[in-house]
Amino acid sequence: MTFITNLINGVSLGSIYAVIALGYTMVYGIAKMLNFAHGDVIMVGAYIVFALTSYAGVNPYLALVISMAACTLLGMAIERFAYKPLRGASPLAVLITAIGVSYFLQNMALLIFGSQAKSFTSIVNLPALTLAGGKITISAETIVTIIVSLIIMVSLTLFVNKTKPGRAMLAVSEDKGAAQLMGVNVNATISLTFAIGSGLAAVAGVLLCSAYPTLSSQTGAMPGIKAFVAAVLGGIGSIPGAVIGGVLIGVIEILSRSYISSQMADAIVFAVLIIVLLVKPTGILGKKYIEKV
Amino acid sequence: MKMSLKKVLAAVLALTFLAACFTACGSKGTGSSSSDGKTLKIGSSGPLTGDAAAYGIAVKNGIQLAVDEINAAGGVNGMKLEFQMEDDEADAEKSVNAYNTLKDNGMQVFIGTVTTGACLSVISQTKADNMFQITPSASAAKVIANDNCFQVCFTDPNQGTASADYIASKGLATKVAVIYNSSDAYSSGIYDNFKAEAAVKGLDLVDSEAFTSDSKQDFSSQLSKIKALGAELIFLPIYYQEASLILSQAKNAGITAKFFGCDGLDGLLNIENFDKSLAENVMLLTPFAANATDETTKKFVAAYNAKFDPSTLNQFAADAYDAVYIVKAAAEKAGVTGDMSVSAICDALKGAMTEITVDGVTGSGMTWKATGEVNKEPKAVKIENGEYQPMD
Repeated sequence: MTFITNLINGVSLGSIYAVIALGYTMVYGIAKMLNFAHGDVIMVGAYIVFALTSYAGVNPYLALVISMAACTLLGMAIERFAYKPLRGASPLAVLITAIGVSYFLQNMALLIFGSQAKSFTSIVNLPALTLAGGKITISAETIVTIIVSLIIMVSLTLFVNKTKPGRAMLAVSEDKGAAQLMGVNVNATISLTFAIGSGLAAVAGVLLCSAYPTLSSQTGAMPGIKAFVAAVLGGIGSIPGAVIGGVLIGVIEILSRSYISSQMADAIVFAVLIIVLLVKPTGILGKKYIEKV
Repeated sequence: MKMSLKKVLAAVLALTFLAACFTACGSKGTGSSSSDGKTLKIGSSGPLTGDAAAYGIAVKNGIQLAVDEINAAGGVNGMKLEFQMEDDEADAEKSVNAYNTLKDNGMQVFIGTVTTGACLSVISQTKADNMFQITPSASAAKVIANDNCFQVCFTDPNQGTASADYIASKGLATKVAVIYNSSDAYSSGIYDNFKAEAAVKGLDLVDSEAFTSDSKQDFSSQLSKIKALGAELIFLPIYYQEASLILSQAKNAGITAKFFGCDGLDGLLNIENFDKSLAENVMLLTPFAANATDETTKKFVAAYNAKFDPSTLNQFAADAYDAVYIVKAAAEKAGVTGDMSVSAICDALKGAMTEITVDGVTGSGMTWKATGEVNKEPKAVKIENGEYQPMD
């Protein structure tokens, strides 16, 4: 019974990682850059919902929509002002800029909201589900998180494969130059990718803070790193890969904490990553590109 | 040539920016470093920002309150106290920088640091400088390893031992579980001693669960294990932010066990937007309860609330307030004057510390051993209706 509870908790934590990892993987797939500020966009999204619901008394679901819109704009702005000018620069410069943006967002949050952690009121107002005569208790947040992640993954996959802007994303991710020659607006496509990734970050932020109701400027940092690991594990650039990687990381983390050692959980997660990358360097679903000379 | 000029320009700009940064950071303490004997410069460092900011802010206010009171009443040995505080974000590296800044500004007595981890990284320097150090709240036993450092709060061994004693003697539970932060010196220090004392007192420690500072969000696996083992009481020798998460996840997991913590839980009720009903009936060992009815506490609380935001008041403010009065008592005993060197002040205060008895907010009749350890009675409080109620 405890095992089932642990498994469900793992899938729930993993689903949050998955939603965050989707943002990493999309941006990497299309812009070929690691957007290390992604974790902090999550934090911004959560703060916006917190501020709207706690200070302005806005309905939580409306607040989520506003937060998604705000994060979408924020993501586009970050791309336009921080990353676009560096499109031709070395990947290292872009990486450092991303870290800079990450610090910028964290410190902005510190300035505006102060250093004291806030307690986030869950936007899921449902009772916990009790199964097997009280032996298994699953919180409503857990169920909602899993369902929302599934919906996001399915709709994102459909969007990328079935719609025109989605196929433009695929084209840009395969060959930026050729896509441009074929009439794809590369800049608009990259901007769209950041918009979607950041909008998802707002959802991830609210899910994260609903499940673990504390909010500080550091909230997005560690989950962001774990989600990055998840994206790499699943094969960076691949949408289903991000979800598989996220859920795997979550489940491994929780199960190793329960059954091996509560201290070693992170070490085990990273050990799994190393082993997978040794066996399959592109990650579980990563594509292998053959360099043609 | 053009390129290198650009580089030089960039470097100059970067340096100016850095310099601006440093002056901005250092501008808080602009006292001259020479001392005329009319003032005694007290410095403190603690987390004014970051996770543990509630502690640092309380300490800052507590010291300020005591300093103002003492100065208004004529000072110490005719000297006015001068106080400056640096932010160390409870970070080991930043605390060393904060200490150095304070020293550059002429600090003569160091009341700090607030948190254990940060404190451990400055003690070797205070020892090398022979700077008198008294920490309001850094509670690890190692903090007072050197002879120049004293504590106002209990050491972790005392907190862990006292908690186990308290739980056993009050019959709060027999099956006990612990969740502690294994990457934190404070938390694991208390845990080690709790475990040892629990065995002595016949408490059944059914489960010890650890977490680390890198994974302090999800406690579901620890809690489901504890639930399965049927613990009646969960001991939380951790800080309040993680405790708030544990309490909410325990509720979701349907856990009905009691919770007992140490002074790190102080601050729980001050988390913005925190659902205080989660903390109902949580017990904690703390030397200070704001609604205690004794005269000293009432006077301190009234003065604090008149001057600062009442929501920042916690035991750390009380510890810090006491620390200043302890320094005053020791300085008067030893006849310290402001024109003495830092090292001479330290030697004088060190000798006086073992001879003084201080009645403070955090305990009456406090005395010190030469090891730096304080001797006072532990007290416990219980959270009822969102407020601390003293337990007997």
